Amino acid sequence: MTLLSGPPRVITAGAGLLRESLAAQAVATTPVDWRPPLPGTGRALARVLADPRLPAANARAVARLTSARPVLAAVRRASEVLDLGRMTFLHAGPPITWERASGPLRGALIGAMLLEGYAHDEREAEDRLAAGEVRLEPCHHRGAVGPMAGVIGPSMWMFEVRDAEHGGVAYCSLNEGLGKVLRYGAYGPEVLERLAWMDRVLGPVLSAAVELAGPVDLRGMIAQALQMGDELHNRNRAATSLLLRELAPAVVDASPRDAAEVLRFVGGNDHFFLNAGMAACKVATDAARGVPGSSMVVAMARNGTDFGVQVSGLGDRWFTGPAGVPDGLYLGAYGPADANPDIGDSTITETSGLGGFAMAAAPAIVRFVGGEVADAVAATRAMYEITLSEHPAYQIPGLGFRGTPVGIDLTLVARTGLLPVVNTGIAGRVAGTGQVGAGLVEPPLEAFTAALLALAESANDPLY
Amino acid sequence: MTVGTHARRPRTHVTGAASAAVRPVLEAPRRPARVLAAFPAGVYLQVRTDLEPSVIAVITGEATRLPNSVLLAGDLPHVAVGDEAAVGDGVILLGRLSLHARRWWAPAPPLGRVDPARLREAAPRLGAGTPGLAGDEAVELLAAGCASGHLLGVLTAAERLMGLGPGLTPSGDDVLAGLLVTLRGLGAAAGAERAVRLAGWLAATVAFDARTRTTPISATLLHCAARGESCPEVVEVLRGLAGLRPLEPAVHRLRRLGHTSGSDLAQGIAIGVAAVLSLGAAG
Amino acid sequence: MTPTDMVLVRPGVYHDSVALMRVSRSMRELPGVEVAVVAMATELNLALARDLGFRLPAAGPGDLLVALRGGDLEGAAAELDRRLALLSGARGREAGEQSPLTTRSAARRPADLVLVSVPGEHAFAEALDAVLAGLDVMVFSDGVPVGQEVLLKRLAEQRGVLVMGPDCGTAVIAGVGLGFANVLRPGPVGVVAASGTGAQQVTSLLDLAGIGTSHVLGVGGRDLSAEVGGLSTLRALRMLDDDPATELIVLVSKPPDPAVAGAVREVVAGLSTPVVTAFAGERDLTAAAEEALRALGRPVPAWPCWPARPGPEHPDGPQGRPVGPPRAGREESRGRRGGRLLGVYSGGTLCAEARLIVGRGEFTDYGDDAYTRGRAHPMIDPTLRLEALSRAEPGDVVLLDVVLGHGADPDPAAALAPALAGCPATVVVALVGTEDDPQGLHRQAQALARAGAAVFASNAQAARYAKDLP
Repeated sequence: MTLLSGPPRVITAGAGLLRESLAAQAVATTPVDWRPPLPGTGRALARVLADPRLPAANARAVARLTSARPVLAAVRRASEVLDLGRMTFLHAGPPITWERASGPLRGALIGAMLLEGYAHDEREAEDRLAAGEVRLEPCHHRGAVGPMAGVIGPSMWMFEVRDAEHGGVAYCSLNEGLGKVLRYGAYGPEVLERLAWMDRVLGPVLSAAVELAGPVDLRGMIAQALQMGDELHNRNRAATSLLLRELAPAVVDASPRDAAEVLRFVGGNDHFFLNAGMAACKVATDAARGVPGSSMVVAMARNGTDFGVQVSGLGDRWFTGPAGVPDGLYLGAYGPADANPDIGDSTITETSGLGGFAMAAAPAIVRFVGGEVADAVAATRAMYEITLSEHPAYQIPGLGFRGTPVGIDLTLVARTGLLPVVNTGIAGRVAGTGQVGAGLVEPPLEAFTAALLALAESANDPLY
Repeated sequence: MTVGTHARRPRTHVTGAASAAVRPVLEAPRRPARVLAAFPAGVYLQVRTDLEPSVIAVITGEATRLPNSVLLAGDLPHVAVGDEAAVGDGVILLGRLSLHARRWWAPAPPLGRVDPARLREAAPRLGAGTPGLAGDEAVELLAAGCASGHLLGVLTAAERLMGLGPGLTPSGDDVLAGLLVTLRGLGAAAGAERAVRLAGWLAATVAFDARTRTTPISATLLHCAARGESCPEVVEVLRGLAGLRPLEPAVHRLRRLGHTSGSDLAQGIAIGVAAVLSLGAAG
Repeated sequence: MTPTDMVLVRPGVYHDSVALMRVSRSMRELPGVEVAVVAMATELNLALARDLGFRLPAAGPGDLLVALRGGDLEGAAAELDRRLALLSGARGREAGEQSPLTTRSAARRPADLVLVSVPGEHAFAEALDAVLAGLDVMVFSDGVPVGQEVLLKRLAEQRGVLVMGPDCGTAVIAGVGLGFANVLRPGPVGVVAASGTGAQQVTSLLDLAGIGTSHVLGVGGRDLSAEVGGLSTLRALRMLDDDPATELIVLVSKPPDPAVAGAVREVVAGLSTPVVTAFAGERDLTAAAEEALRALGRPVPAWPCWPARPGPEHPDGPQGRPVGPPRAGREESRGRRGGRLLGVYSGGTLCAEARLIVGRGEFTDYGDDAYTRGRAHPMIDPTLRLEALSRAEPGDVVLLDVVLGHGADPDPAAALAPALAGCPATVVVALVGTEDDPQGLHRQAQALARAGAAVFASNAQAARYAKDLP
């Protein structure tokens, strides 16, 4: 249909009067609910949008993200694969020092010091950390991700996820379960005992089982789990069951003696899949890194103090703002006053079109987003406004199997003022407390604004 | 002028778009009208006038833009068959509505120049479909008459076809309408003067008889077709035949109209195309 | 009750300026409200509120500013919320449905054209979305940097779409009026226009002569500059040439840049459709319409005009038809002659045309950016022009344009007639429009003539008449 062949159907952006005048002529219109861009982004937006590389760069970035084929390839010790020297820990989020670290991150670091034998007691651990004897580095810098505090020490067992399409590899630790756990900053005796068991039994058994079972197709598993009511961040029950079903025979073959205990542990933790899923998301987003000119977000991560964003066209630079306190539901007698600001690398799920972006797939947990299924659907629908594409494999049955919104675009965030919807667990603010709840958190605007301004500086000017 | 019992109730002013074919009736001094038929997506008004279209379709966005229609920007009023209305002085008074046209569309947009060779290549792609009068003798007579330029045969067939078939727009009328519009539009575009002259004769016959031989709605549509006016679905097929647009999707959309209306119109178009080609080739 | 002030800032609440102007105006009509400013907190609007004596907190252009003064402000504030909610509701959001927030998102649904009228500094993003989605786009917004215009038009060239504008006020596509446009019958004339009101004048006159329009493609006032290079004009000419409904093209513009003029001539020479040019200064718009009629082999009619006939006792002309052309100086003198000649225009091209014809006097184009910043176009909001009328003195001649059609004031005579009746000057009106326009050409003409103005459907004739007034 060429423009002049008949009365046009018109998209209207702007003055309502002009749309009304079309409606009075019985012309079909699609009104854009336009609003001004985020304050201070107007000029940067114009520069970035005018960069002639942008459309192709974003198309390439999001195509790499959505075409990644993550498979669970192995379970291995961090010391073997992450090149962690002595007295080095990885942590969630953008870089941070002990001084600025929040309660849960400090708690997890103390626990890790004890676990790795770098300190004999809590006191010594704190002193050595405060003295700067320990090197802290973001997981993201080593191709890894960690939920909540995300502390990784050399002895820990890691999921190794490979991208069968682009050849990348990513790592994530094994999930300890809920309640008082290291990733929420708890380091009491029961926490360390569990970690010791994971070190001694769970890790070796899973490692042998994965080797026996062969690579596990995580892309297919995530796609199925979405259709079974998971959004793969705050709900992983279906995915965990699927993984358990896949691995159980191999676990038995690998270690008849420990199989029951291992399977009971995995089966008793609805979030066991989360860490494998995060590594799958990490390997996919890493495939989309480094496309010059692209405004697509390739990482969102929090360290409990700062919320950081990385962008495909801006290399490994972090753009940060203060991490917000999640709005959510609390366990037991805990309340908002007990909550730590947002923490964890698990926002890699949202970065890949899962988690909050796939809320509409998970009606069972709609109470996190306002209580009604309609709220969950609205959350997902809103995310299509700030994303570049719809995931070809990850689909939402309730939306007519529409692909999940994927590929957060800085320019669309700035233009719409809509921030990514992030599902999250809530850690207690005092070191050693553990998890206090779960809910939603709003990322800080300034992280996205700062990234956009930086991208504008590196934009090609098409006219000169 | 007062209009039935509705006249003293306050009117709601609404606007819409109208086929330019309706313009003479709409701009003439106001005449009484009555509701001939009422459907969810359209209300047919019979206007007491000698002008054509004497039946005006007031439609919503879901309905086909017939060449005698006025497209409402809002919802149709609740009216029943037999209700009084009025048309003229630039306004349609229907139920509580007072309707003004805020835009006009062309029901017979020109097709430009068409190369007969292109038309010959496109013609077979119209397909046969399942018209209501498949294999009917009068249709065969019409086709044969058109292809050979045998005027008496064409007019005889036309008289037999008018009003033939069930429904508001009988199949015979749709075949004739498709034929008329094609002879007028593609005949002119391909420079086939004999086809255009044939359209003139056929139009005169149809215009003379339509009001007595078929339903009022169908008669009005035949009058429109006699002037080359049709709905966008037919126009798109003609454009497809002229090479301005992909043909197959346009044919597909046309065939979906009504029960057999779309296929009947397509049958008329096919007869018309054959006539344009054979009469044009004959010089 | 002594009036009090209430100032509220609603962060991140956005409505377009015209909608808010309507709300402001309706708020002032509430009992107990003396002053009401409901506007986006742009610098201009903040200054306006400050000038009214309001004490304002910090606010930015993305925030909604509400400043009320009066007696019952609680009630007024509640009413305001209700009216603003209506505005939001009018955006048509259904439960669970996400309204598209960008053109990019809206373009997922079937569409043929995008109409962008957001503030000029933000128009680029929406227009770019359209071009990248392969959609033709009309940019109504003004104040778009020329570099962005060039970029948009170059991309459009690559993608095979048309960019109308920026600052394109008028387009008509297959009868659909976009922006300021008249209700035109379908017909053989296609128009390419760098000037919206210029296109409105030509198409309205043709319509009055019984000749319809196929399409009006606006290109924006800068298209034929050396910088832009006429990219949209050339494309629009080719589109109309390919359009079977278009038998004749009228090109309305200021004289193009000499280098661009060459390219235009070259393209025009290669078209199979004849082209009539109406370059300002070379041929006035009325002459262009007449030339188009001649090219189509149609007679040129006497253009309608309505002599000033003040006083309620005068009946209308027969059937509201125009009565013979008035001759200058025949009507009753309203005081000493030899005063000023004031051009009080809303259309830039009409203003320039009249200025050129009259050759003297003070002409002001109230549609110019300088007068429209922070307020609606004079075709919608008559305030500035009414003020100008009130400054006219006995002996002055005031020449003004009234443009009818979609998007324009629904009844311009309603505000103008009382002002004309009270105006001591001689008033001449160029009334641009058609009988089918929502306002009705004859209805408006008669109301204006009854109020004492001599009314012409042709701006050029109005200008000549004003010039010849003694």
